[in-house]
Amino acid sequence: MIDHYDWRGGREAMLRFGPTNGPIVVIAMPLFEEANRTRAFVVTLCRALAAREVASALPDLPGQGESVLPTDDARLDDWRAAFAAAAGNIGRHVHGVALRSGAAIDGEARLESRWRLSPLPGAAALSELRRAASTGGTAIPVQPGADCPPLLLAGNRIAPPLFNALTDDGAVAVPDGPLRTVRLVSDPQPADRKVDAAPLWRRAEPGNDPALAALLADDIAAWIARCGG
Amino acid sequence: MLPDDNSTIETTVRAVLRDVLGLSEARAAALRDDTLLFGAMPELDSMAVAGVLTELEERLGILIEDDEVDGEMLETFGALVRFAAAKAPR
Repeated sequence: MIDHYDWRGGREAMLRFGPTNGPIVVIAMPLFEEANRTRAFVVTLCRALAAREVASALPDLPGQGESVLPTDDARLDDWRAAFAAAAGNIGRHVHGVALRSGAAIDGEARLESRWRLSPLPGAAALSELRRAASTGGTAIPVQPGADCPPLLLAGNRIAPPLFNALTDDGAVAVPDGPLRTVRLVSDPQPADRKVDAAPLWRRAEPGNDPALAALLADDIAAWIARCGG
Repeated sequence: MLPDDNSTIETTVRAVLRDVLGLSEARAAALRDDTLLFGAMPELDSMAVAGVLTELEERLGILIEDDEVDGEMLETFGALVRFAAAKAPR
């Protein structure tokens, strides 16, 4: 169902899946291009969670997805505040699921636990856009001034404040509370579990992987049960 | 533990091309030292190049500067493996 949530800057849409009671997770999607590449997979994951009696909420961020806020007005601190508000809107015992650079925006939310898939900081999310733009022949300033017009990076209009805030977000934040990190076998970084799958978020053509969604839904359901449900 | 020997690096580069470009196992396995990449492989556009390089950075724990990216290092599979091997930590 299509729900909504209110935050200090307005109202945004939020997809809801699963039962009306029981455990619930709020999902932080990857930023930018990776959101498009993983949207079908994330919805498959939400349905797999629902089959395991776990509800989920998928909030749109201000200036992304269906948001009426102009893309140029998107800011990293607003994304964090909006995600925290979305988590607060849906209940008191909410668990977090962050995919990729979604881990850059879940830090302010009050969450019972955090489960992350292949997390990366905002700076790394930005660097791929920069690289695509520069490979395509566009010169990108290192630190655009505040009066610089929004930059067009691989189809994304990014204003200097967002660009610079992402550049400064150099490491994945580790907030207090239970945290589980899952990565792919191909990723040498440390994780609580490694799963053997291809990185859907890199595929030039968006794909899906129902077997991976089922495997991750099992992992998430078991994790939040261990964290008190 | 970061991959640090040449056969591991070649395996990683092969897997990255397979995963980013959506190559079949057979096409990925058929990549040889002199297989032409950029300009010869239609899947490898500028967004895909960015994905390949970023994925290599993540899997190998290396950093690739924009000014190091040129047609030469992307010309063949072997050239890309040698570039990655030269960047990998020892």
